[in-house]
Amino acid sequence: MKPPAVRYARAGDVREAVALLAEHGSDAKVLAGGQSLVPLMSFRLARPSILVDINRIGGLDRIEQDNGSLLIGAMARQRDVELSDVAAAAVPLLPQALRYVGHVTIRNRGTVGGSLAHADPAAELPAVVTALGGDLVLEGPGGTRSVAAEDFFTGTFTTVMAPDEVLVGVRLPRLPDRTGVAVEELARRHGDFAVVGVVAAVHLAADGTVDLVRLAASGVDSVPVRLHAAEAALSGARPTADVLEAAAATVDASIHPTDDVHAPASYRRHVARLLVQRALGAAVERSGAER
Amino acid sequence: MTIVEPDRTTYTGTRVRRTEDPRLLAGRGQYVDDVTVPKMIEAAVLRSPLAHARITGIDVSRARELPGVFDVITGRDLAAVAGEQPVIWFPIPDQRIARTHALAVDRVRWVGQAVAAVVAVNRYVAEDALELIEVDYEPLPVVADLDAALAPDAPKLYDDWPDNVSGSLTYTAGDAEAAFAEADVVVRERFTHGRAFGCPLEPRGCIVEWDDFAGTVDVHLSTQSPNLARDLLSEVLGVPVHKIRVRTPNLGGGFGNKFDFYGEEVIAAVLSRRTGRPVKLIEDRLDSFVATSHSRDQRLDFEMALRNDGTILGLRGISYGVLGGALGTVGAGPPWASVLTCMGPYKIPNLDVTVKAVVTNRSPYGSYRGWGVPKGNIVHERLIEIAARELGMDRAAIRRKNFPAPEEFPFFSGVAFTYDSGDYAACLDLAMTKVDELGWRNRQTAARAEGRSLGIGYSFHVEPSAYGPSRILNLVGLAHSGFDEVTVRMDSIGKVTVYSGQINMGQGTHTIYAQLAADGLGIPMEDVVVVTGDTDSCPYTGYGTGGSRAAPLGGAAILRATERLQAKILRVAAELLEASPDDLQIEKGVISVKGTTSRSVTTRDVGDAAYRRLLNKMPESEMPTLEEVDVFDPPNMATSYGCTALLVEVDRGTGAVTLLDCLQAHDCGTVINPMLVDGQLAGGLAQALGGALLEELVYDEEGQLRTASFMDYLLPTAMEIPPFHFFHQETPAPDIPGGIKGVGEAGTIAGVSLVASAVDDALSDLGVTVTRFPITPPRLLDLIQAARTPTGQAHTEEDAR
Amino acid sequence: MTELASESTAQRDTLSITVTVNGHAYTADCEPRVTLADFLRHTCGLTGTHLGCEHGVCGACTVLVDGRSARACLTLAVQADGATITTVEGLATGNTLNPLQEAFWDNHGLQCGFCTPGMLMTATELLADNPDPDAAEVRECLSGNLCRCTGYDSIVRSVLDAARRMRG
Repeated sequence: MKPPAVRYARAGDVREAVALLAEHGSDAKVLAGGQSLVPLMSFRLARPSILVDINRIGGLDRIEQDNGSLLIGAMARQRDVELSDVAAAAVPLLPQALRYVGHVTIRNRGTVGGSLAHADPAAELPAVVTALGGDLVLEGPGGTRSVAAEDFFTGTFTTVMAPDEVLVGVRLPRLPDRTGVAVEELARRHGDFAVVGVVAAVHLAADGTVDLVRLAASGVDSVPVRLHAAEAALSGARPTADVLEAAAATVDASIHPTDDVHAPASYRRHVARLLVQRALGAAVERSGAER
Repeated sequence: MTIVEPDRTTYTGTRVRRTEDPRLLAGRGQYVDDVTVPKMIEAAVLRSPLAHARITGIDVSRARELPGVFDVITGRDLAAVAGEQPVIWFPIPDQRIARTHALAVDRVRWVGQAVAAVVAVNRYVAEDALELIEVDYEPLPVVADLDAALAPDAPKLYDDWPDNVSGSLTYTAGDAEAAFAEADVVVRERFTHGRAFGCPLEPRGCIVEWDDFAGTVDVHLSTQSPNLARDLLSEVLGVPVHKIRVRTPNLGGGFGNKFDFYGEEVIAAVLSRRTGRPVKLIEDRLDSFVATSHSRDQRLDFEMALRNDGTILGLRGISYGVLGGALGTVGAGPPWASVLTCMGPYKIPNLDVTVKAVVTNRSPYGSYRGWGVPKGNIVHERLIEIAARELGMDRAAIRRKNFPAPEEFPFFSGVAFTYDSGDYAACLDLAMTKVDELGWRNRQTAARAEGRSLGIGYSFHVEPSAYGPSRILNLVGLAHSGFDEVTVRMDSIGKVTVYSGQINMGQGTHTIYAQLAADGLGIPMEDVVVVTGDTDSCPYTGYGTGGSRAAPLGGAAILRATERLQAKILRVAAELLEASPDDLQIEKGVISVKGTTSRSVTTRDVGDAAYRRLLNKMPESEMPTLEEVDVFDPPNMATSYGCTALLVEVDRGTGAVTLLDCLQAHDCGTVINPMLVDGQLAGGLAQALGGALLEELVYDEEGQLRTASFMDYLLPTAMEIPPFHFFHQETPAPDIPGGIKGVGEAGTIAGVSLVASAVDDALSDLGVTVTRFPITPPRLLDLIQAARTPTGQAHTEEDAR
Repeated sequence: MTELASESTAQRDTLSITVTVNGHAYTADCEPRVTLADFLRHTCGLTGTHLGCEHGVCGACTVLVDGRSARACLTLAVQADGATITTVEGLATGNTLNPLQEAFWDNHGLQCGFCTPGMLMTATELLADNPDPDAAEVRECLSGNLCRCTGYDSIVRSVLDAARRMRG
């Protein structure tokens, strides 16, 4: 399980990284935390001709609030975001979801950008960014562009990124104070990719009706799925048990799970619906709480 | 048989810290991949991507040309100089034995079968070269599972066999047919246990240096059985045994997987001979999933006949061993052992039980801690609980009713084993008392009030340990022995070395041997070192380190040897003290006349007298030196037993099972070191709990292994395994000096049926019966939904996984 | 990787890197594909860092990189250029085990010892971040390190015991 031969270049800034990618095309791979890429190379399932290491590019690890958004640099380590007060204050769903990502040791090196660019449909971070309608910031030879999360992921391990583009960060809308958030996950073991995962954020208006709901599921399609129908069923309503159940009942039509070695599609459908109900219930219960 | 007991037991029975630990904690262990031999080069193995195919051509020319590559070999190269892989267990008369060479010659029969090997300057280059080997395969129809293998028109793995059945053997006792005819109740079930393996965290490995001029083969090997490996290397390579040296460095776990003898050691030997260089061949994790022995894969169709009062009248059924594409070292041994133990701790007068060994296009079947007994446990523990429900009886009461009473020992189980001693009912009571003390029932009641489903499960197990006696093992088809030999030597300064053929794979053998030797001689434990793992210096053990043998058999041999050595020490001391040996005592290495403190000598004085300054000190009648050899071949095995209890929570919405707490009441006879015994029990249980819930080697219909990484083959973590509580009884083994019984496999035997029992209990209102392992969330959800739907229709159609 | 690597005439890009391990600086030419684990084991001769899976799941190769735990099999050596690394060999002082190692010894926190270096390094980080963890926190923290021998309970007790000792 030794990686195949590969060349290596350390980019000094994003422009240099983009130039290296442009030069080598799809044979080149960006090396961030390496927590997904290095094992793929050890399995010899990935065999880039050159690794473009972006670890030493300054400023790519920022975690900051900006105009009602949370800005996270692609090289921000997952563990740093998990422990960041700034992130917790703006998007409390994020630290909560990050605790499900692998283990501390993995999160120490694993990056936010790496997880998003790797685009595992069972992963937590893509689900959070999808639920919240985040924007991914890409830099290529022609400059910078911003892509909405729901447009970014195109399939299992694939995104809209061109071979010569670098993901430099993600912008997430700040959740209003007293938003309740919840992560519900069915994984075979702690730290594993979810068989099915659901992330939810719910905010209640003063009259007790839902005025903000954000909901996405992982492990139920080739991309993380924003559950718009369930959101619509809840939006503006009082979140009674019946309403939550009705919202969960819409999930079946929104997802396209497949069989794998850990669970058949039918199981994923059943569990997705159940976890949506549980996640919404938990988020509602936590909404209104001071944070 | 007299029981040899040391006069005083300073160390036996105490929580002595392990002598092995400081260097392991400091990172100074030497596992096989840490060993570097001068001029060593490294190999890697090319494996078949297909489950069943003819090899029509192999082109290694591009691999040979890669800079850094020393040699490339194929099956034909290997078969020219090495024999087929050996099989040592033949329990089934007239069994068809499917053997292969370490590298496939013209046909592959499982995914991952080795087809070629490369040796290069390092592993990176060796793996590069593997990618340059071109193999042409002509696919053959795949026999992916048991049903496919037994189908009337099934493709055959071996063209000269009439079908895919390697062999079948039935044991009977009493009259099972009559018992079933007169029974009030018959319960029957099909139990299925998926494939799993021991999966030691350290993959297997070897370094082989074949010196063709000296005619010697020097091997570093991660094996539990160095003597067996040496004998089998001799058979396969045609090199005399005395020219082969096998050394075992630290072992990173074995669990039976490293008992078996593998093709990689033969491949490395052949590569070494051809290149004239020492060759290291380390199995990497990917290799391990297809190349290390698989186990557990069985179907068990069994039925139990009972009277209305819960008395078991009879048991009958078939254990199908789903073997691989060739027989492993131990052949059909584990599925056979399931049949030998399927009656468990119960008196069942009428038996009709069959083992049927079937070959499939899967990796070879071999040893894994528990060795078939966990599946025997599933049969008796599941059926007795199902019967209890059927009869409306308490599950403890029905167990108690069928135990042999303490005075009925030695108790013949009806097939092969005679259980030596025990008080099973007391052990059951101990476990149930502790369940109450820990408050599990209250937790269960409270949780149920909140709508949560907690269950308490039980499993009573027996563990036949101390595998011997040699002649009995030979009689039931083992081409190997079951004795154990030790040498205990006191040196010229009075310090002691114990040499054993057992090996140390994490169970603490060195510590317990030092405890026993120190007590046996009356010296400080610090004065003892234990040497294992080198066939040049260490004696022969029959079998190897497996079958829970190391403590009872090695321990007994140490006690017998130290008893004689102590007598000689006292005779020499008597000469020095001008006293009678009978009047002397030895304590902490100081020998004095009993009842006095004035005159004494130490083992240092005795050592000096026996080795260096003999004049006027060493009795003329004594042979110089201080050394005793003992060979212990037990007259019977020693049967440990235990009652395990488990608290679980089931999520009825998802089918997920959470393990909350676990306890075991256990009896392994004399406890040498309670801390280490608990460690063995806990470790075995964790493996069983993993097997019950998480671990499965899943094959698809093409014979492809779908769980060949740690992302998909799910070992339990600290989050899945509950805390453990252990409680001991001590019923000494009557046939083992020192009274020691084995303990290594207890947890693995008890733990699988245990989870099923607890899950059933959590869902008792639904009437769910778990019969298939591992109990994955989708499988359990199917059972829950089927139980809720009167038609028995499951929500999902998860199957064939 | 043997000392014979120079026999390979394959021309591949290599980098000269310097890594400080347990206080010693190691400078070597290194192929980019070489993992930090192999660099530590073969170039530095520190074989206490074990390889149990080489795909980042088992945790046996866990080391501290600039004070934070990392899988040495998921880190390329070239990425560690300039870093300060602690391996299991760096825990004891002379022949004196540190309190964490002592606690593992006293509580039978190891059997075969193969996972132990990774367990120790993970627990080292935990106790630095959280000197008074409870059992659940220890279990969660150690859940990225597989042990096949102990059943974990004794490891959890070892870490809790070490925390007590280190708090004094």
